[in-house]
Amino acid sequence: MNASAKQLQILKSKRNLRRTPLISLSTIIIGALVVAVIGSFPYLLGSGSYVLVLTGKFLCFTIFALSIDLIWGFTGILSLGQAVYFGIGAYLVALSLKINYAMDHPTRYGHKFPDFMEWNGLTALPKFMEPLVSTPFAVACALLIPTILAFIFGVITFKRHIYGVYCAVITLAEALILQEFIIEYQTYTGGFNGITDYSNYVGAPFLWFILAVTVACFLIGRALTHSRIGTVLKSIRDNDVRAEFMGYNVANYRIFVFCVAAFMSAAAGAMYAAWVGIVSFLDAGPVFSVEGVIWTAVGGRATLIGAFVGAFLIKALEFMLSGLLADFWQLFMGALFIIVVLWMPDGIVGTLGDWLRKRRRGTMAQIREEEDRRAFDRQRDWAPAGTVKTGEEAV
Amino acid sequence: MGTGIKRRTLLKGAAAGAGLTLTTGPYHFVRNIAKAAEGDTIKVGILHSLSGTIAIIETSLHNAELLAIDEINAKGGVLGKKLEPVVEDTQSMVQVFADKAKKLLLDDKVAAVLGCYTSASRQSVLPIFEQYNGVLIYPTLYEAQECSKNCFYTGAVPNQQLDDFIPWIIKTLGRKKFYMVGSNYIYPKETNREVKALLAKHGGQNVGEEYAPLGHTEFSTIINNISGSGADVVFSDLVGDSVVAFYKQYKQFGITANDIPICTPITTEQETAAMGPENAVGHLTSFNYFQSVDTPENKSFVERYKAKYGKNQVTNAVMEAAYFSTYFLAQALAKVKSTDADALIFEGLPGQEFNAPGGPVKIDEKNHHTWLWPRIGKARPDGQFDIVWKSEQRIRPDPWTKYLYPHKSCDFTDKRVLERLKKPWSQEKNRSGTIDI
Amino acid sequence: MTQALISQVLIGLSVAAILVISAIGLAVIFGVAGVINMAHGQFIMVGAYTAAVIGQFGGNTFWAIPASFIVVALLGLIVERAVIQWIYDRPLETLLATWGVGIILEVLMKLIFGPQLYYVGSPKVLSGGVHLIGRLPYPYYRLFLIGMAILMVAATFIVLYRTNFGLKVRAVRRNRAISGCLGIDTTRVDMLIFMFGSGLAGVAGAVLAPIKSVSTTMGFTYAVNSYMVLVLGGVGNLLGVPTGGGLIGEAETLLAFKYNSVIGELLVFIFIVIAIRVFPRGIFGYYERA
Repeated sequence: MNASAKQLQILKSKRNLRRTPLISLSTIIIGALVVAVIGSFPYLLGSGSYVLVLTGKFLCFTIFALSIDLIWGFTGILSLGQAVYFGIGAYLVALSLKINYAMDHPTRYGHKFPDFMEWNGLTALPKFMEPLVSTPFAVACALLIPTILAFIFGVITFKRHIYGVYCAVITLAEALILQEFIIEYQTYTGGFNGITDYSNYVGAPFLWFILAVTVACFLIGRALTHSRIGTVLKSIRDNDVRAEFMGYNVANYRIFVFCVAAFMSAAAGAMYAAWVGIVSFLDAGPVFSVEGVIWTAVGGRATLIGAFVGAFLIKALEFMLSGLLADFWQLFMGALFIIVVLWMPDGIVGTLGDWLRKRRRGTMAQIREEEDRRAFDRQRDWAPAGTVKTGEEAV
Repeated sequence: MGTGIKRRTLLKGAAAGAGLTLTTGPYHFVRNIAKAAEGDTIKVGILHSLSGTIAIIETSLHNAELLAIDEINAKGGVLGKKLEPVVEDTQSMVQVFADKAKKLLLDDKVAAVLGCYTSASRQSVLPIFEQYNGVLIYPTLYEAQECSKNCFYTGAVPNQQLDDFIPWIIKTLGRKKFYMVGSNYIYPKETNREVKALLAKHGGQNVGEEYAPLGHTEFSTIINNISGSGADVVFSDLVGDSVVAFYKQYKQFGITANDIPICTPITTEQETAAMGPENAVGHLTSFNYFQSVDTPENKSFVERYKAKYGKNQVTNAVMEAAYFSTYFLAQALAKVKSTDADALIFEGLPGQEFNAPGGPVKIDEKNHHTWLWPRIGKARPDGQFDIVWKSEQRIRPDPWTKYLYPHKSCDFTDKRVLERLKKPWSQEKNRSGTIDI
Repeated sequence: MTQALISQVLIGLSVAAILVISAIGLAVIFGVAGVINMAHGQFIMVGAYTAAVIGQFGGNTFWAIPASFIVVALLGLIVERAVIQWIYDRPLETLLATWGVGIILEVLMKLIFGPQLYYVGSPKVLSGGVHLIGRLPYPYYRLFLIGMAILMVAATFIVLYRTNFGLKVRAVRRNRAISGCLGIDTTRVDMLIFMFGSGLAGVAGAVLAPIKSVSTTMGFTYAVNSYMVLVLGGVGNLLGVPTGGGLIGEAETLLAFKYNSVIGELLVFIFIVIAIRVFPRGIFGYYERA
């Protein structure tokens, strides 16, 4: 082969030169450790412990925060209505479980359908709810319907170039609509009381299942953000006009990631309903959506692990402080948000990472030296042998 | 690319691990220090919302319970030990109620829990109390049709509020055409159902029924509808912010209590104080207790409450129930000389009597609800209520409203129920005291 | 029937006025200063509590209006200096930071005043009503509210478009760097306009409290309604606020009349979400380069 073809071949094989591995070894080790610790909670704490219940809940919240992280941290879409998908997933599964439970445990009138329907004057299970008797079908609906809904919302919103603040407010409105809808149509949804009183599956197997789904979501998230698609998403986040001019169909990418996030939220919601045993309109409303955004922001917006840290940290703090400082624990929470936004805009994990990077890199002179050394290495790899002498600096 | 990123991810992982440990570590450490002093106190759980929308009223329950505990401790406590309140803020969220209830029962190992306000919160924690055999004392008026082994209900049930109220409105006040306005959730809807049954029984007429979203504050349309329906009395089960807005706008549209009075089972002194005297005057509320009840016990109670929480505070029926519930608990503990749940449930609490500010009250031995004194109050210009009717006798609670469920009753002394309760707890929910008669 | 309908339309005007009053403060802060203030509801709440305190000292609503303006403007100043000034260039951050501010305000007010409902009365001079149409009189207070709405929008218009200060504000909004180069003190402008917007929110609280209820959690509903008004009517143009408020107010009242309050509210939200598809920036909003 002549020189230029050889250069081309070297170039091609070196295209992935700077590619970092999908998951570095240390991440796998740490991740496995954390999973092992959480997985052993049922044995350490006993199956009735409320900490176990909390852990399962927090894992569902982690997935929820992760989905928000994907669309906000990596793609720049601030959706204040992500709870819509979580809520629909949760309600569908809860309804199915409740209907099944009611069939075995008749109400005070002896009817075999949910008590809230009876209170509201129904005499039999509504026809359109009968398919929900089959729980697998309900789970499938719980995963698919929110995704389809997200697709519709996405098409309407992103094709019309609604983004930024307006997108935030519209999604807020959507969450509010769902919340009002749930409260109003209490015949079918249990209304203000929510759906309570059905069998839930707290226990080791289900916890491991939730854990497995969480890990899977993290892997999906990592694969997504670490690939070419992820780079495009980040470029959309940074400057969507520029991305559009580069030829990428920004709206399609946004819709895609929005649907992925909705799917994850729906999965989280479905597991949440089965784990906790209570769903209410709060799980589908704007306040919960904003909370998810806050967990992501506090944990670390453009990092995936930040979702985990943020959700766990804040919910755990909330639980502890509302017992220890029952009167004014919210002061701390409010102050925490402000501090995080002002001084740690990348969140806890993000700021930690930045700080480490700065420490490692050192002064400007050291940075410049390192950059030069790297450029020299690159030059040497790309250039045919013999054209660059060792010791020469690259331009 | 090797070492640098490795350290970074290592520390990220450490942050995650730290977050995880924070979930359990220091918290248990602090709590364990508290537990060390366990021997000399009896723990009582206080499970109310101190933040969020329901905190508006639920804080007064929490305050009343703490006042009672202070008084009991000042007199030497129970069985020589002081009562220690373990306070949890449930943030007006149903899910948090369930978690905190578990924590109180399993972690803090409280003797009993005084808690809950909304029916939603009670329903979410009852399964936990049934599963772990705890004791919940629920001081709020509610729509009844329930009785659980692990719950003692010290608030009014419909037959102690509506059964006398509706006939009084029809006969004594002479108003027959009812327009019902409520907040859009289960308690008003159930209550209105009971009212309709009573109307049919006593010759009243239902000329309209409307529901407003919770927290809704714009009532001009509803008031217009009321005016056009020919009603001569409004029965309102609005709750929360809606109450004040409704009464204010009602008056602004020129309708006074002489034209169409508003009758409600839920507007308390707090709301009348908040809506202003000119808007409240003349309207009627049915409760078993008002701040203006003229007994020495009540006068002293109100004084003590104001001394502890501020001159501007008002008392109301629900927190009065919370107050005497605490005394019931203390007396029960003293009677059975232990904190064992079954002892409290079967021997300690049933039959307890106490001279409450609203009159002498008693826990019914059979159905675990409370004998109360229904009253009807008419709002005065100063925000307090003139008691225009008082029941001659203490009224027995009927957890299963007779005219809606005549074939059901609640009896924890019935052998069928005792058989059922002997079985271990299962998802079958066999902790109810309901029997068919 | 037509009588009832006409009286409903008139009532809808007062509902629209209430919406305009709550939203105008946010329109200034959001539309002009570019800050997403999630604590707007809590600002209104502080204004309402100020009115309550004035009431306890014997004053009435007419005294409460300037008092609330000043108190909440000062509060806005504190919030702006402490929190907002660092994040003007990042609008989505302001959302989070002000959410935290809102929580803190709620807790502080709860600690000071307690969580229970508070009494704020309307002035005696405004009680009663005028018989326009239908059985019930149209309350004077609602006419007063309509008047206040017009007054507040007019005042904002004058401040923004007829004063030197307003000119500077608009310049800073268009291009902060060049305005600074031209000698405008951008920091002072930011501070003052935020104070103005907060003050308007305070007045909203003072004026709405006598007709609604006052508690520490009252703010969220007002904030949501204000955002709906702005999203529908459009920011950046003062015509947006009365348009948005008018449409939503009338729609809600008429739908509540035809069906019921719950359906009315629901349908209005759906209507807004659909309208946004047609007017992505609101009816009177304008597109600008991000």
